[in-house]
Amino acid sequence: MSRFSRRDFLATTAGAALASRFVGSAAAAPTVTPKRGGTLIGTWGGFEPQSLFVPAGGGSSPYFTSTKVHERLIRLAVDLKFEPVLALEIKPAADFRSYTIKLRDNVTWHDGKPFTADDVVFNAMEYWKPISGGVSLDALESVEAVDRLTVVLKFKAPVPEFFLKSVLASKSGLVIPKHIYAGSNIITNPINNTPVGTGPYKVKEWVRGSHVELLRNDKYWNPGLPYIDRLVIRWWRDPASRSAAFEAGQLDIGVFNPIPMPEIARLSAGGKFIAESKGYSNSAWIATVEFNQRREIFKKREVRQALMHAIDRQFIADTIFFGRASPSIGAIHNSNSIFFTKDVQNYPFDVKKAAALLDAAGYPVKSGSRFKLSLVSAGWFEENVKMGQYLKQAFEDLDITVDLSVPDRATSLKRIYTDYDYDVAISNNSGGIELIPGTTQYYTTDGIVKGAAFRNATGYSNPKMDEIVARMTVETDEPKRIELAKDFDRLATIEAPILPMVDLEPVTIVRSDVRNHSTTADFLGESWAEVWLDR
Amino acid sequence: MRRIILRRLAQIIPLVFAVIVMNFVLIQLAPGSLFDVMTSEQQVTDPAMLNQLRKTYGVDQPTSVQLAKYIWSVVRLDLGYSYRQNAPVLDVIVEQLPATVILMLAATVIALLVGITAGVLASVKVNTIWDNLISLGAVFFFAAPSFWLGIMMTVLFAVKLGWFPVGGMRTIGSDQSALGDALDVMHHLVLPATALGLFYAATYARVMRASMLEVFRLDFVRTARAKGLSPGRVVVAHVMRNALLPIITLVGLQLGTMLGGSVVIEAVSSWPGIGSLLFDSVMSRNFPMVLGVLVLGSLLVAVCNATVDILYLRLDPRIRAR
Repeated sequence: MSRFSRRDFLATTAGAALASRFVGSAAAAPTVTPKRGGTLIGTWGGFEPQSLFVPAGGGSSPYFTSTKVHERLIRLAVDLKFEPVLALEIKPAADFRSYTIKLRDNVTWHDGKPFTADDVVFNAMEYWKPISGGVSLDALESVEAVDRLTVVLKFKAPVPEFFLKSVLASKSGLVIPKHIYAGSNIITNPINNTPVGTGPYKVKEWVRGSHVELLRNDKYWNPGLPYIDRLVIRWWRDPASRSAAFEAGQLDIGVFNPIPMPEIARLSAGGKFIAESKGYSNSAWIATVEFNQRREIFKKREVRQALMHAIDRQFIADTIFFGRASPSIGAIHNSNSIFFTKDVQNYPFDVKKAAALLDAAGYPVKSGSRFKLSLVSAGWFEENVKMGQYLKQAFEDLDITVDLSVPDRATSLKRIYTDYDYDVAISNNSGGIELIPGTTQYYTTDGIVKGAAFRNATGYSNPKMDEIVARMTVETDEPKRIELAKDFDRLATIEAPILPMVDLEPVTIVRSDVRNHSTTADFLGESWAEVWLDR
Repeated sequence: MRRIILRRLAQIIPLVFAVIVMNFVLIQLAPGSLFDVMTSEQQVTDPAMLNQLRKTYGVDQPTSVQLAKYIWSVVRLDLGYSYRQNAPVLDVIVEQLPATVILMLAATVIALLVGITAGVLASVKVNTIWDNLISLGAVFFFAAPSFWLGIMMTVLFAVKLGWFPVGGMRTIGSDQSALGDALDVMHHLVLPATALGLFYAATYARVMRASMLEVFRLDFVRTARAKGLSPGRVVVAHVMRNALLPIITLVGLQLGTMLGGSVVIEAVSSWPGIGSLLFDSVMSRNFPMVLGVLVLGSLLVAVCNATVDILYLRLDPRIRAR
């Protein structure tokens, strides 16, 4: 099976050849010799983190900073193959109920203490399972250090290899030092504001409200890396200020939509800056419309399907997202070249058909209106606000009365995920390549957790769906697993408790003299050890 | 005199208490909670973990208990712990407050210098082209939103001309002497302080002009002129001193609102002050931090107002006589 999507393949062959040689082994000869030194100033399209490292999963902002300091056992390259970082090898037993992890030797923490199997045992039982991984590591039973550099994870049930590796390569797999955290409350340990890791950069100073300054770790396990002497991550609250900083030469790289979308073309026109959309497939974002199944009207599948026909998703992609998105095919983001499938129920934009379906479902137009619904558009993205306005219009064209509200972030979270106080909600979900539990929890019964955001808020519950996901959780044969994922997507699109609108294509804006970036599937969360400056 | 000062200081205690209770109630009334925001950002969905966090953040307790605990800790001069910042509230505020105070002071100085000069000039040259130009400028800077002004000034002076940095408070990574550091901060301060100050300068210019014109008509000015003082001395020593009272009043009042104005300017020029901290804390319903900033803010405003009152006594002996 090819792990390349065609789009990625064409774009990345050159870059991937360059990238792969820096990881662990020395393979192909480089075409350009990287230069050492310099200061890289980076930012991302959001705000300053609350703390440089946030143990409980972590939102994008702390994840962006902490991954320069903390490393994981493995990482996922842009070609969707796992590459060694702190672990040289992760091997399943024949029954997939235990995994043996071989660790890299001669790795030290920033404070000089050695990194050993004890650290991994501590992380697995005290940090990953209870705090960061949550349900993903439910099956983890025990962990054992066989020797100084070998760890064995034991599970209650078979665990698919891709699944476990995805967890270890994800946000929840950061490795933290046992000698600092043991015996303390990991969540509130003050060290989280000046994290100590094994990564290529050490924290020098965090000026709250402004920036964090990271210095090259001279004792990094990969002797040539990192190339950059100093990495400064700055935060701006205002996207327009970020474009000004780019233009004034005071910002080199910005990940995850750092500047207003209309500015992208202008800034990248002169050749001084590049707009790059690679590096997001393992944290892919979808804009969604969710139907509250606690409302009588939306319990009817026909109504949900009818409304799917009423929305022009191409318009949303072109106009609201300035082409930086594409109409969703199914519940799986189109950049997921492993599990994505086109073989699902599709809903072309067809207002007449939508009207006919609603008539048939028992909601004809009576005195000017079919029914009334409250539309809550989560106000955390500017695009959601515009989508709310568009959807109101689209539904009103079908003679549905719409009461639109656009609450701020805290209120949106409460209304959608805690109080279930909406009929139709516009929200966003992000998921990794691995569908469990990130993507599947939007559709499964165990995803319904009152007060847990970005999970099944619709209340949709279907034993057939639960069964597919349950089988996928323990299926260790990869091709069979992919078939199950397709079953999942087919059922999700037929049932349509959530309407995926557009698959977002986030953009990295980078100065053209910054080299060797965007080489992993989750560039926001990469260590940036291999980035270098051609100055 | 001392009695007045003591009385003003005593008034601060109930004020701070009222600020705490009112803001606590307001935050509780806002939908959504710190818990919602934190768990969603961290994508915590494990019910056991949710419960553990509820306990850690103390949101499992009734609101009244949370309020009582908070007041008790403020009495002991402890502003509480912010789980969002993972640090004591006071530490975070102390770290970021100086930047805002510097910005506010610089903006106030710019506002006073520009505003008073423009006001005096307009009143001396009343109904000439000067007066009209100053009025036009005042209307413009009063009407222009400060975030727009901030961005436009950044685009012109930082991006196009390259005279000033686009944001921040210091050149990152430069180890300088104390003097070099001060100059560096001042260099970074120019754009945000000007953008913030010009809005207030506009008000001061209008008020100063009106106030000057009023004082010009008074008898003692005519007397001063009659006894042969130079026009400059009349303007500065007699008219200006008396026309300053309303400005002092305004400055006292506006120091409070300036904290609000600085939120926007701090955002635009990534100034590491208290404004963005307050904004974030309101958005994330982080009440210990909001309350901490507001308690210290109210103290600041109260002290400023007390200072203004004392300045009044110096400027206008009639008040002391009462």
